[in-house]
Amino acid sequence: MLTEYPILTILILLPLAGCLLLLPVWNCRLSARPIALAVALAELALTVWLYASWRGLAALPSRLPGYLLAEDMPWIPAFGIRYTLGLDGISLLMVMLTSFTFCMALLVSWNSIKEKTGLFLTLMLTMEAGIMGVFLALDLALFYLLWEVMLIPMFFLIGIWGHGRKIYSTVKFFLFTMFGSLLMLLAIIALHLLHAQQSGVATFGLHELLRTQLPADTQLWLFAGFFLAFVIKFPLFPLHTWLPDAHTDAPTAGSVILAGLLLKTGSYGLIRFGYPLFPQAAQTLTPLFYTLSLIGIIYASLVAFAQEDMKRLIAYSSIAHMGYVAIGIAAWQPVALSGSILQMANHGVTTGALFCLVGMLDERAHTREIAAFGGLWGKIPQYSFFFLFFSLASLGLPGLNNFVGEFLVLAGTMKKLPLVAAVAFIGIVLTLIYTVRLVQEVIFQQERQSLPLSDLSPRELLILAVLAVVNIWMGVHPAPLLDLIHGPVQLLIGGGM
Amino acid sequence: MTQFDLYALAPLIILAGGSILVLLAGALKPGGYLYALTGALIAAALVAGLLYPVDALMPGLAITPFSRFFAVFYCTAGMVALLFATGYNRRRGIAGEEYPATLLFALAGMWAACAATDLLMLFLGLEAFTFGFYILVAIRRDSVKGGEAGLKYLLNGTLSAAIMGMGMALLYAATGTIKIAELALVANQPGMLFLTGVCLLLLGMAFKLSLVPAHLWTADVYQGAPAPVTALFSTASKAASLAALLLLLPIFGTWHGLRDLLWVLALLSMLAGNFAALLQSNIKRMLAWSSVGQMGYVALALVAAPSGGVRAAVFYMVIYAAAGLASFGALSVLSDKYEPAALDDYRGLGYRSPLAGAALAVAMFSLAGIPPAAGFMGKFGVFAAALRGGETALAVIGMLSALVAVYFYLRVVVMLYMKPVQENIHSRPLDFFEIIALAAPTAVTVLLGIHPQPMLDLLAEIFTR
Repeated sequence: MLTEYPILTILILLPLAGCLLLLPVWNCRLSARPIALAVALAELALTVWLYASWRGLAALPSRLPGYLLAEDMPWIPAFGIRYTLGLDGISLLMVMLTSFTFCMALLVSWNSIKEKTGLFLTLMLTMEAGIMGVFLALDLALFYLLWEVMLIPMFFLIGIWGHGRKIYSTVKFFLFTMFGSLLMLLAIIALHLLHAQQSGVATFGLHELLRTQLPADTQLWLFAGFFLAFVIKFPLFPLHTWLPDAHTDAPTAGSVILAGLLLKTGSYGLIRFGYPLFPQAAQTLTPLFYTLSLIGIIYASLVAFAQEDMKRLIAYSSIAHMGYVAIGIAAWQPVALSGSILQMANHGVTTGALFCLVGMLDERAHTREIAAFGGLWGKIPQYSFFFLFFSLASLGLPGLNNFVGEFLVLAGTMKKLPLVAAVAFIGIVLTLIYTVRLVQEVIFQQERQSLPLSDLSPRELLILAVLAVVNIWMGVHPAPLLDLIHGPVQLLIGGGM
Repeated sequence: MTQFDLYALAPLIILAGGSILVLLAGALKPGGYLYALTGALIAAALVAGLLYPVDALMPGLAITPFSRFFAVFYCTAGMVALLFATGYNRRRGIAGEEYPATLLFALAGMWAACAATDLLMLFLGLEAFTFGFYILVAIRRDSVKGGEAGLKYLLNGTLSAAIMGMGMALLYAATGTIKIAELALVANQPGMLFLTGVCLLLLGMAFKLSLVPAHLWTADVYQGAPAPVTALFSTASKAASLAALLLLLPIFGTWHGLRDLLWVLALLSMLAGNFAALLQSNIKRMLAWSSVGQMGYVALALVAAPSGGVRAAVFYMVIYAAAGLASFGALSVLSDKYEPAALDDYRGLGYRSPLAGAALAVAMFSLAGIPPAAGFMGKFGVFAAALRGGETALAVIGMLSALVAVYFYLRVVVMLYMKPVQENIHSRPLDFFEIIALAAPTAVTVLLGIHPQPMLDLLAEIFTR
């Protein structure tokens, strides 16, 4: 029986066990890579298996209402910290995205990481464990711990294997994130103490803390701490400045994970912890959240249009796309929230693919300047096809995945606040403009420099084909995923349409 | 004196007697075996303390779980520091019996300080280990920096001793007793003379803990002293001073001024320490200033002493000590004939000497308070105590200054792993003892970060109040 095993713990420990397996082959690149990939694939298989059996799990009685699986044991009783993990539909979607993204990231960096491969793979697997934990933790202290743990590998990833001003970027990334997190830590401890005062129980468990009665001003302060930590990760305008630097200077695998997963931890945190814990404060800050998201969408789209570096352009487009996720959360309305959650996964797949594509071009041409390319359609048709495909997905072509997410977000928001939805529509037009410019200049047009470019290798073809299939599946038939998150979303919002 | 008293005193007797033994043995036949002898003596004291955990009460001394806890702590730190010193001193040609003998003497002093029940014994213990460090800091007679550091420490140390002595004299004048328990009884109706004495005592302790504004000697002394000495100095001596301060806390009674004074000390130390560390380019100076900031967090926990802050402070100190031993230990094994001083000299060393680099990096993450290193748990405890005590403003300032600290600790990690290796430095293979001495505090750091419960249970047992 599935529930007899601590599946969730296995999800976290499997990549760490993989790190141990890597130790004997630390310096042997040829055998280390398949081991790491095998571990990542096993993880993927496990999550897919969980997905395949989620309806069966949902039918079983659960220890936590609304959760498919839950694990709970004492960890540090002296501090009141427990080791509580829970998997619901939202977590499951995120966990699947995580294991999938890591497989892609490992494959895309197969040949490009030539130095210190053992260290690289170990850091990747450690990060996978950390991110898995973030999406599963239901104890606030445990969540915070894992939230920090996942930063360290990324810090090294950008700092060691990055390009350009990598040290500046990685330190900036780390400090920005730490700034928000530290204040969130204080808010977490304060919430814990307030709850202990009221109930006499010292706990960091989310479901106990949800019952804490908080005066409005306290709630606002505490929510501000959480909000800051999460929106820095998002990243919300004007706290986004770390992202273009980190993305641009990160190795391809780093960018894929950054865009695909780390940004999502912010929105996930807001959905799982921020809004449910402090509903009134969240309502108070919603106008601000809307405004900043809209400014972010418009501003980032305009800035993206002006970029000369492809990676930077996609980084800014990430900020714009995450703006839709933000709007969907701010609306806190079932359709919009479902759209947001779906959009988190969609953006991970699409933007991840775009970063892969730019990485592949960079490996060949050693430049990412838009001005250096042109006329790729004639020279490397397979590559160009996928480039066009994911660009179209990114701008929301119906039938591909981004359309579904953005449509739901806008439809839900339209019900609540038509003005916000209307302004957000402008953002879609702007997306169209910068994406068309990118495609037009890189794929079509005349060749501007004669670069020695070769078309996709079988490995690269595999990565992109898989991503494209997933993309189409999510775009054409999102219903199973919407079913998956339907229950948790209803629980979060309280059943009201 | 009963047989049990003798058992309880055995570690002190071993340490103090051993110090004289080593001195004599060195006079007869100098050589490297003295370090082995010293190591054996410390181990014997450690074993004696652990095997016969008896409580005993005698004039001036009380051997309690509190004192035994700290005694084990000092002896372990002393052992690790000795392992670092063995190779380091051999490479530098610091021969002779002074070093190991003084080390033992300092440990004996710390042991006495944390078991004291009256002011005189406390003063003796504190000054005994401080005296040991006067010598150890300046152990290299040909080193200009070392001499300067020794002199600075001597001047500042004697000043603080004088201040503390004056404070004790005033307390005696006001009450006619030097017993801490009796002083605590009068503490709730303090007179002017009494309060003056108490403040002077606190100032003296601030010197020892290098809390701002009594911190000015720290950077120079840390920089000038040999790295293994700094390793012990920044950990065991700080812990001994904390233990002494904890013993003195009852004297302050319910006087609210203590909280206010500690509040100011914590605030200034966290800000000044962390911001000054930001500007340093010498790694030892950077660590020195950062230790001022770290002591600020200990003081922050003590501000909240009524709400569980004492436990948090000691827990923080243990974790800080593990990181301090690992970082200064790494500096001492990474140094060959000269000590690389500038932060820049550590470029790429994480790949050259993987173990020392990893130990240093883990220590930096711990000091920065980033999980899963133990520093996070330490900070967690301190901030939880501070918030429980209602010190919200100070906690927020502490958090923000911790962010500053993250930056300069990361700089070390960046140097170790993200900068190209310098070609002219060749790494020396570590010997067995150095590996042990590096691995032990690193393992403690990781273990306390993942599974701190046993240590917290132990502390809860010792500090029941």
